[in-house]
Amino acid sequence: MDFYLGLLQIIGVHTLLGLSAYVVLLTGQVSLAQAGFMAIGAYVTAMLTVLAKWWIVPALLAGGAVAGVVACAVGFPALRVRGLMLVVATLAFGEAVRLFFFNFDYQIAMGGIKVGPLGGEGFRQIRYFPENGYTTLHVMVFIWLVVIIVMTALWWMDRSRAGAVLRAVGEDEVAAQSAGLNLTAVKVMAMTVGGFIAGLAGGLYAHYTTHIEQGNFNVLVATFAIAYPILGGLSNVFGTLAAVVFIQAFLVEGLRFLGDWRNLLFGLLIVVAMNVRPGGLIDAHGWTASRAQIRKGEGLGWFDLAIGGITSAVRRLIQRWRGAFGA
Amino acid sequence: MLDLLQSTADGLLFGAIYSLIGIGFTLVFGVMHKINMAYAAASLAGAYAGLTLAKLAGLPPWTVILTACAAGAVFGVIIYGVCFKLIPLSHPLATLMSTVGMFLLIDEIVVHATDGMPVNYPTFVRGMVGYGDFVLRGDLMFVFFVALLVMAGLIYVLFHTRLGLATRAVSQHPIAARLCGMSLDHVNAVTFTLSGALGGIAGALIGSAVGMLSPLLVVPLTVKGLIVTVIGGLGSIPGAIVAGLLVGAAENMFQFFRGVTERDIYVMLLLFLFLVFRPGGIFGADPARN
Repeated sequence: MDFYLGLLQIIGVHTLLGLSAYVVLLTGQVSLAQAGFMAIGAYVTAMLTVLAKWWIVPALLAGGAVAGVVACAVGFPALRVRGLMLVVATLAFGEAVRLFFFNFDYQIAMGGIKVGPLGGEGFRQIRYFPENGYTTLHVMVFIWLVVIIVMTALWWMDRSRAGAVLRAVGEDEVAAQSAGLNLTAVKVMAMTVGGFIAGLAGGLYAHYTTHIEQGNFNVLVATFAIAYPILGGLSNVFGTLAAVVFIQAFLVEGLRFLGDWRNLLFGLLIVVAMNVRPGGLIDAHGWTASRAQIRKGEGLGWFDLAIGGITSAVRRLIQRWRGAFGA
Repeated sequence: MLDLLQSTADGLLFGAIYSLIGIGFTLVFGVMHKINMAYAAASLAGAYAGLTLAKLAGLPPWTVILTACAAGAVFGVIIYGVCFKLIPLSHPLATLMSTVGMFLLIDEIVVHATDGMPVNYPTFVRGMVGYGDFVLRGDLMFVFFVALLVMAGLIYVLFHTRLGLATRAVSQHPIAARLCGMSLDHVNAVTFTLSGALGGIAGALIGSAVGMLSPLLVVPLTVKGLIVTVIGGLGSIPGAIVAGLLVGAAENMFQFFRGVTERDIYVMLLLFLFLVFRPGGIFGADPARN
């Protein structure tokens, strides 16, 4: 039972991570710094609960806020350049954060042992949950409360004017600018919100694993963060959740019997998924392409086109049959 | 002072490899306006495959460079086909993500094939030239000169052949190039082949300079290659060359002053300095145009 609760915890934290990238992706920007923001949130929250003995909720909010402020600060220089330069800048920033924590020592003696982050060894003894009598179930419920709050907020934002603004910038920057939107403000805002959510994810992650180190926040995690919303599709927040469940529950846990080969399959499946459904699992046009889209052939992958070709061939065949039998 | 000069010179020589990787990223960016995230992984895989091929065929060690070059070219074409040709251009995120998937796949295949252990790589030149206490390592000099030769060859291809003319035309204005009768598919495929071949050579040179190849090199090489591309200016080949040497030298200087664990933080800061003060890169065009 604990195994499934643990799996739910992982899914919860990764959903938050994916949602943090989702907000940024809505504006058409790809940020590979989400793992870095997550690291900042994790270290700040853990230091507040362990060293300063804060209650977890304000500590989480503070961790998220610090990550958000850093994201805002990174956003300004990085968003002066567009698109692909941002990928590089955020990738470099994420690695810089990881290396910063690799060199970061801040230990104080508490009850005879030294606690706090210690460079490459990481930050041990993040015992807030066990010390306060949380069981695995409690932790899982706590994580999912945060996930539900964030998902609801994003769902609501998506339906409001703010969501329309973000999507307008993502669809066509020039058009959005001509409509009077301040591109930099919108993008930096999205970065900040994304940083905040990633910080929350980091804070929760630090507390359920009880031990964090810089290696937990590497490029692979940053890749996961953008992989969830891209694989899931950007039409709504549930795409991200679906992709997290698909990857964490099916690929990582469900295929565990494959041993090492599972890792091979992971990269391959991303490549295949992008070939088959370039717009994400839950695309704006639903599960299948419409006939009009297939006729135009625009923006469809070879898979959709092949399916479209087969269905139209079958339809023609049926019509011919009907003609032959005079029905 | 001499130590500083020494480490800077070593870094400058090794930086030629960063230049090669940066050129590979920048070439693809130039013609397609897309980043091929799998490039550095494919380059190292090319070096691995080249070594295996040379061993299987019983060729002398120095031919590794040629076999790695060929293997890199093959990987380049495969990546083009799977990640760029088959995915519609109207989904830029899908191409980016599929190259990331390719990166993970190639990396994992290499880890599997080598059991995650470093593989020894032949070093071609031993010994060193020196003036007093200042020495230049022979293997690094070899790497540097081979890289320069390859760059010279590439510049010849790009600026003195019809193929290069087509590549440059597509990178300047794809629609106009098509109107003039050039096939985008063909030019793109050739560019990927060229950059792949370049990557294979870069991978072999890294192997010979470090003395071994390890999957651990993939992520740092990807990050450094992308940094070089941005500092040099996206799409600019002279920029990538200069930026590669600059990053190589700066990296060793930072290492000299601040130690190996903090070295890369300062390289990232260098990148951010460029982003703030010169977002177009050293030789870049108007930054608003990508």
